[in-house]
Amino acid sequence: MKRTFIIIAVLSLIMSFTFNMGAQEKKAVRKVITFDNTPVKRPYSPAIEVNGTLYVSGQIAIDQLTGKLIEGKIEDQTRQVLKNLKNVIEKAGYTMDNVVRCTVLLSDIAFYPTVNKIYMDFFPKDPPARMAFAVKDLPMGALIEIDATAVK
Amino acid sequence: MKKVINTLNAPVAIGPYSQAVEANGILFISGQIPIVPETGKIIEGGIKEQTQQVFRNIGAILDEAGYEFKNIVKSTCLINDMADFKAMNEVYSGYFPDNKPARAAYAVKDLPMGALIEIETIAIK
Repeated sequence: MKRTFIIIAVLSLIMSFTFNMGAQEKKAVRKVITFDNTPVKRPYSPAIEVNGTLYVSGQIAIDQLTGKLIEGKIEDQTRQVLKNLKNVIEKAGYTMDNVVRCTVLLSDIAFYPTVNKIYMDFFPKDPPARMAFAVKDLPMGALIEIDATAVK
Repeated sequence: MKKVINTLNAPVAIGPYSQAVEANGILFISGQIPIVPETGKIIEGGIKEQTQQVFRNIGAILDEAGYEFKNIVKSTCLINDMADFKAMNEVYSGYFPDNKPARAAYAVKDLPMGALIEIETIAIK
């Protein structure tokens, strides 16, 4: 009788312990991806990682050294945007191959074919799902903005 | 890991994107415009016909990936003209009789191929 009681007590202890472990694993851990030169007052983070998913903020063609939009045409801006995107993704420990979806916002739909050509260089195989369209205006008068979601 | 979904029952991609990508039990479907898969052209007609074609395309991709409309958790509807909002909603509602997905909808400047509508969806089983 006493032995049975001890066995039951030990078993329930083990069960409650494993149950707690499971509960702990399910809790989402939110990690902010940021850089030394990320402006403190900016109301968004470069990226947030939760549960193996990385949400990357829309990137425009800002030169990381000057903090200004680069000079140049849509080709140059597209390359800079994708470089910035790659930079954030890699800082978070992900790769461009982990990207599952992107949003491409253009200031002019006529940029579509040119953007596609450069975009392909950054996603040569199994490209992400995507949504692309022209908007009225982008921040800082940018010609293009791209956001991304990556899953590891 | 990342799985690319491909079906001939939906329009082939007109740019460097996959029709859909599945990862971690989440299906990310590319923004669909009302291209008829057989012709590769935008369907004839107005916003209602275009919205219906967009849903046919989404349906074909969901089907190929083994998902259903009721699995869609989030959609983004882009229309070229806010005046089309009501007509778009009428067709849209037919596909989501209950448990309507979270949604963002807005008018944009222009859509690829001069489409009147583009819808992006995310589904979880």
